[in-house]
Amino acid sequence: MFFVGLLSWWYGEGWRGRLHIMANRLAATTDYFSISLLLSTLFAPFRQISAGSVGGSISNQARALVDKTISRLIGAIVRISMVIIGLLVIVFQIIINVFLLLFWPLIPILPVLGLIMTIIGWVPLWR
Amino acid sequence: MAIIDFKYTSPRSEKARISLQLGGTWKKVLIAIAVLLFVSSIALLIASYSAAWVVLGLAFIPVMIVKWYNGELKNLIPVTKPSSIDDVLDSSILGLLSHQPTPYEIAGILGVVPGGQFFAARFGIGSQFFLQFASKDTKDMAAIWQSAWNIKERLNSNHVSPGILIAALLEAMPDQQKLLAHLQLDMNDIYAGIGWYDHLHSLINKQNVPKRTGGIARDWSFGWTPLLDRFGNNISQTVSGGLLSTELEVHADILNQLIKSFDGSGRQNAALIGPTGVGKTQIIHAFAERLLDATATIPDGLRFNQVYTLDAGALLSVAPGRGEIEALLNRILNEAYRSKNIIICFEDAQVFFEDGVGSVDISSILLPVLTAGNLRMILTMDEQRFLKISSSRPELANALNRIMITQTNKQDTLSILEDQIILLEFSQKVTYMYQSLEEAYRLSERYIHDLVMPGRALKLLEAAASFSEQGLVTAHSVQQAIEKTMNIKVGVASSDQDRDKLLNLESLIHERMINQTHAVSAVSDALRRARSGVRNQNRPIGTFMFLGPTGVGKTELAKALADVYFGGEDHMIRIDMNEFVSSDDVMRLIADGSDDPNSLTAQVMKNPFSVVLLDEIEKAHPSVLTTLLQLLDEGILRDVKNREVSFRDSIIIATSNAGADRIREYIEQGYDIEKIEDQFVNELINSNQFKPEFLNRFDEIVTFRPLKKDELVQVVDLILAGINKTLSLQKVSVVVNEDAKLYLVDAGYDPRLGARPMRRVVQKAVENTVAKQMLAGTVEAGGTITITLDEVSAIVSIKQQADSIVTENTQPNK
Repeated sequence: MFFVGLLSWWYGEGWRGRLHIMANRLAATTDYFSISLLLSTLFAPFRQISAGSVGGSISNQARALVDKTISRLIGAIVRISMVIIGLLVIVFQIIINVFLLLFWPLIPILPVLGLIMTIIGWVPLWR
Repeated sequence: MAIIDFKYTSPRSEKARISLQLGGTWKKVLIAIAVLLFVSSIALLIASYSAAWVVLGLAFIPVMIVKWYNGELKNLIPVTKPSSIDDVLDSSILGLLSHQPTPYEIAGILGVVPGGQFFAARFGIGSQFFLQFASKDTKDMAAIWQSAWNIKERLNSNHVSPGILIAALLEAMPDQQKLLAHLQLDMNDIYAGIGWYDHLHSLINKQNVPKRTGGIARDWSFGWTPLLDRFGNNISQTVSGGLLSTELEVHADILNQLIKSFDGSGRQNAALIGPTGVGKTQIIHAFAERLLDATATIPDGLRFNQVYTLDAGALLSVAPGRGEIEALLNRILNEAYRSKNIIICFEDAQVFFEDGVGSVDISSILLPVLTAGNLRMILTMDEQRFLKISSSRPELANALNRIMITQTNKQDTLSILEDQIILLEFSQKVTYMYQSLEEAYRLSERYIHDLVMPGRALKLLEAAASFSEQGLVTAHSVQQAIEKTMNIKVGVASSDQDRDKLLNLESLIHERMINQTHAVSAVSDALRRARSGVRNQNRPIGTFMFLGPTGVGKTELAKALADVYFGGEDHMIRIDMNEFVSSDDVMRLIADGSDDPNSLTAQVMKNPFSVVLLDEIEKAHPSVLTTLLQLLDEGILRDVKNREVSFRDSIIIATSNAGADRIREYIEQGYDIEKIEDQFVNELINSNQFKPEFLNRFDEIVTFRPLKKDELVQVVDLILAGINKTLSLQKVSVVVNEDAKLYLVDAGYDPRLGARPMRRVVQKAVENTVAKQMLAGTVEAGGTITITLDEVSAIVSIKQQADSIVTENTQPNK
């Protein structure tokens, strides 16, 4: 019962659970790097610096427009940088997790493979 | 296969047993083996041994087992379509069952599984309780399984938990009601306990799910808030990352209503209006927590908004002048508006709408902001304050989206307490029993008036932690907490001292008053009923009308009762009803304690365990008497603030001289007044002195008859005992000869004033003699002064002298 139970879980619920864990981790990373939030506010002023409408003379309004544009530009640069870092991490995470997902069904046969390798007698030569 | 069958060899049973074995030290051993094999394989590879491969392969076997344990065995889920009881039985129990389980075996298992231990600690129903009664016959299991299945279905649970098995075992007991009654429980409490355990489990599982709070760039689109950080408190920061969620199921509707207030283009504000203790702060915390939850279903405009409460004290300390504070507040509100993600919360908002100590009226600034709806705001205040503001500033009240919060019912309060005590238990290092929650609800409802549910029950539970017994807060701890903090007695008399006092109440009262046995036994019986727990809990302990002439012991009995039973004469609340002669005086009777600390309601609220003496009730205005009807009937009186004040732990005694002359006439005609009591009361009603509906509210109407001469001698003895007590400091005692006592009775008795003037006559006669003898040095410490008839008659020699002493005390009843 022990090994039957273990193997039936490993190739059934266990494997599916692995997929679930992978999806959760990706969602957590996406949340951590605020990807969707950054994309939806890509050109918003950074920290609302120079936010709001400014009245007064044309020179005042022109200065406010420049301030606002700079704030938006800084915001866009910071956000795009963060999105890029976040996406790199996510891609790296996907690669690792896909590898683990594919490696998962092989794990139960690793002892047998190890035995075969031992019988073959191949080992890496360090020099 | 029927649901009442148990299959020892089913896959789920097998897995439960494996889980049990792996759950202990085996899991750690497996991890250690895996690490050891990995390290060994690497070492072998470095040393170029091909055996490294097989060692590496073997290292994955313990890893697989541990993964299996964590992924499936640790939380063995029930089978979707169960065919036998093992398909739905809690895995912690299933793993311990033998081939042929018995109720006795189940009882033993319940003592070692977490669910069983929960019931042992919280309800006092431990393994030992069941082991005394459980059968050892395996055939009895069918009924237990069937009962467990039925309970599971009824409670809509997905598995048969240890709590359900406990309920099933109890249902199988013939004397279950009696057994549970010993623990102050019934079956409904057990079912509630099953829900409580499941709820705690779900909270723990919820904590294991990582929170999504928006990530590191969450606030990048929102502005800086240096002023708000200085003068406000960021609730969102406080609640996020907390151990437990602040959101309670009972607040779900209000929370949704609050979110709706800020959705759309309407006025972006909400006023949470409800009495203190109802949970307004808790709702704000839950609201702040939900806004930061990236997975919550909320409008996009609200997502990741942060809630700040403003501290009126901090504002006033830096800007004491009106102009200064208005300027500062303008800057703060401007900052909040520019930031785009701030919701300002004014807790106890009334301090921002009235000038006073610690408060400032800034309504002129807030009103335009509230009306424009540009900045999101939440205000909290109690109903009275809101009504006050509504009447003084209707435009302000109209600008607010009101959300009324009412106090919770018993079931909801208990659910909230179950959630809240987790934090209390953590901070106070105690465990609360379920009975303590029920008791806290019952007693706080009755005795705590400054808060409403669930706040008042929670407050009492906090206080009860100090009275825990070996770390366990029981119903008794809660009773002790309220008894010590409010100086009342709520439990059934249990100590020998208490019982002796109650059984000998009459003789204890008679130590300080003579005769009136009918009245004394009436009040004594009422007290015994109260303290043995057989009285009606929804009425005062006793309500009595004492009728009779002045100076016969009516007030003295009230005082004696307060002293003997309630622990001192200061436990008597005396209201002179001749001060309530107009209908306007009703307001004075029920005034708020802050306006008039001597009002009836204020005094009883402060000291509910008292004798309430309504002196000279016949002089009160009929409106005042009508107000008292509910008090006499239900033991409740509402004060001007509409708060219920409980008189259910008081003895109400109304005294009246009405018909005193008639009593004297009856006595002179040779009637026994106790035998013609009904006739006398009818005369009082017929003469319109009292309405029948008023007199009928009293438990007993007791007539006091004038004292006879031999009884008056006993009164003299009581007065002398009092004088001797005073003289004991000088180590001197006084003895008065019998003929001198009779002389004093003659001199001191006045038919109009009864025995009352006698005290002054006796005191003057005796104290003057003692004073003279002490100054003359004829008496030494330890000596006894014997006062003779000659000495007494020398002081009170003629009737006129006695009368002059008497007239010093001519005001009746004072």
